[in-house]
Amino acid sequence: MKNYNRIIVACTLLFSLAGCKEPAINEGILPIYEPATVDAGGGNWQTILLRSGAEVSVPAPLAVTSTSYQNELAELKNTLYSIDPAQSTSVNYWATGGVIRWNQIARLLVSKYNLAPTYNSATSQFSDPQAARLFALLSVAQYDALVVAWRAKYQYNRPSILRQDVTPRIPIADVPSYPSEDAAIAEVSCRVLAYFFPAEVAWLQGQAADHKQSRIWAGANVASDVKAGEELAVPVATKVLSRAQDDRFSQAADPASTWQAKRTSAPYDQKWTSLSIPSEAPLLPLAGNVTTWYNAATTALSAPAAPPLTTSAPFQQALAEARELSDKRTRDQYSIAAAWADGAGTYTAIGHWNRIAEEQISYARQNELRAARSYALLNRTLQDVTTACWGQKYQYFVPRPSQVDATIKTASPIPNYPAYPSVRSAYASAATSILLYLFPSENIALNRQAGEATLAPLYAGTQYRFSVEAGTKWGNGLGSLAITQAKSDGAN
Amino acid sequence: MKKIIAGIGLLMLGVTSQSRAQGMMDGFMRGQRKASLAITASQETFNSYYVNTTETRDPTLGTVTTQALNAYGVYGLDYDLDFIVSASYARTDASAGYVPKHEGFQDIYGALRWEAFDFNFGKKARLAWLFALGYQQPLQNYVSDGLVTLGRGSRNFDGRTMLHFKGSWFFITAQYGYIRRGQVTLDRVINYYDPAQVNPNAGSKVNVPDVTEAILRAGITTKHLYLDGWVQRQTPYSAGTDIAPGVPFPTNAVGFTRAGATLYLPLVKKFGLTGTYSTTLDGRNTGKATQLSGGIIIGI
Repeated sequence: MKNYNRIIVACTLLFSLAGCKEPAINEGILPIYEPATVDAGGGNWQTILLRSGAEVSVPAPLAVTSTSYQNELAELKNTLYSIDPAQSTSVNYWATGGVIRWNQIARLLVSKYNLAPTYNSATSQFSDPQAARLFALLSVAQYDALVVAWRAKYQYNRPSILRQDVTPRIPIADVPSYPSEDAAIAEVSCRVLAYFFPAEVAWLQGQAADHKQSRIWAGANVASDVKAGEELAVPVATKVLSRAQDDRFSQAADPASTWQAKRTSAPYDQKWTSLSIPSEAPLLPLAGNVTTWYNAATTALSAPAAPPLTTSAPFQQALAEARELSDKRTRDQYSIAAAWADGAGTYTAIGHWNRIAEEQISYARQNELRAARSYALLNRTLQDVTTACWGQKYQYFVPRPSQVDATIKTASPIPNYPAYPSVRSAYASAATSILLYLFPSENIALNRQAGEATLAPLYAGTQYRFSVEAGTKWGNGLGSLAITQAKSDGAN
Repeated sequence: MKKIIAGIGLLMLGVTSQSRAQGMMDGFMRGQRKASLAITASQETFNSYYVNTTETRDPTLGTVTTQALNAYGVYGLDYDLDFIVSASYARTDASAGYVPKHEGFQDIYGALRWEAFDFNFGKKARLAWLFALGYQQPLQNYVSDGLVTLGRGSRNFDGRTMLHFKGSWFFITAQYGYIRRGQVTLDRVINYYDPAQVNPNAGSKVNVPDVTEAILRAGITTKHLYLDGWVQRQTPYSAGTDIAPGVPFPTNAVGFTRAGATLYLPLVKKFGLTGTYSTTLDGRNTGKATQLSGGIIIGI
């Protein structure tokens, strides 16, 4: 009998090990916050592609005393007490912030379509240059639409739902409710993302519809608020997409393969070749010709000097350092390299900096308009950094360290484009400049991240120190240029 | 002979790139206050791997080779209770491309094996029912997010039960177990596409799929020889992911069917030589590996 008891105990222990089937990721829960400021003057902030917030006119709403509005309000109050669990989940999901959520959706889709430039797989569709352009256009569209929305809010002053004897299910900003900023964000984001991801149109439209409806379920907006927000977004999206069609990105892949002649005549002694197996054409050779957001002539003034030739002592010194890092890479260096690799299948380095911005926006409890401004400032700068670096890369065609010395092993895949200057280091310094300008109290954390991100390509073995330093310096310069303009956009 | 070979099954498979020592336990008890120690060297190679279940050759990796030095000890705490411990030091490298090699201590594994019940059939045949509980953890913070790594980096618990039948010169052991794998913290934040994920801001911790395991082992054991053949099948219990760009390797659902043979030859009373060969019959998100190992066993 004693033995049987032991067996029962053992079996119990054995089966207790078999837990629930778990997903690959346990998702975190994002905070829901009431914005720290309302920015009543936001309608006068300088727009980016629109001439001003007045370029798009928003029709006047019906008076709050009208029967139609009172009916909407009554319906809203009824809805508040009758939503089901799925609707409640939707309310909480979008309450994190429309700008933040659509930025996350963009990151998800970028990672989905950032297919591998690896063996026997499709060519990458969304690596850094494509992602930089997408995030810039998305956040510019959101920002311009919200300036229009903010202008109309304080022009018509339809009282916030908070002031109409309604307690919403979530914290909301005490700003005039007409037009709905969430509806504007949903519509404009959906249209911009649909341009980039035509296969996802139905899913995006579903997300947008859910976002808009969630504000009614939440008790934050009546239906006419939502309709007006949706309508104002349409001309903004049209203008942004018109810019996208004329920004010369469609030629970035160099369909005529002009890069080969350019490589032959490049002023460098040993030219870059693809280390991919099998060998592939470099990534977007003409992405350096894309239209910039800031003054391209000013950007060119601060371009880095020519890289040292491979026969020079500085180059040999840099190569020796790359070899030593490859031979004696520490676990910490490996960890930093992996943390900032952001390669195929991920939301790229641009998405990485957007995620970091999201944390800061959330900590600072920025309202939708201010959050969109933060993203627009960051992403325009990062796209210009990409354009600037790509132009230099395809001027010199500097080989990667492993091409010069095949014994150099890398902690992350070798990007299939020339080395100089390091675009990832430029991203790090430019993004950190922008984020420090927006969130100065976070300087310790941001500077630590910048230090790691800047050196990550060196630790990975995919870059030289002179390339990292040139990229860092140029990124700082481009960040300063963007900040100078931001200081006069009316948001300070 | 019986006393010394206790645990040969475990050490023969070694602790290799997928840390598969966990599970390769046999049904021979060591005996009260008896111990044995084995030191082996192993080499595992693969030049193709399974993406989900599709075999793939990757010229950017070439042949991946893992060489390991393995230590394995078993001590009889009681006539029906053994304590088992094993650890390895390994080096893994790819012959092509630019993936760096990794070298260092892998995981340490400890287990209690308990013979709960036994039935005697005459004087020479015996059926035993055994249970075992084990725990495994990395000995150092090695890189785990890659195809060429020392292991998967998770802390695991496992439970298993065995039916072990031994006649005068032959034996057969059937084993079934469950391995509960803990979380792994990646070097990066989670930044890949997961259709089930609504919040792409979920930190760096990922879940490593649990697995179930079945092993059938049969062989002969005499005064002059131990020889067995075995088949091992691991099946992912959780859905997990498949090898793809951006997807963390630790979240991949890894499974395989392997078959192998083990030989032990006693030299003098307490010393013997041992060797094993194994190959992968099918797999999922793992290398199609072949392994060879050899070493010495000392009875104490």
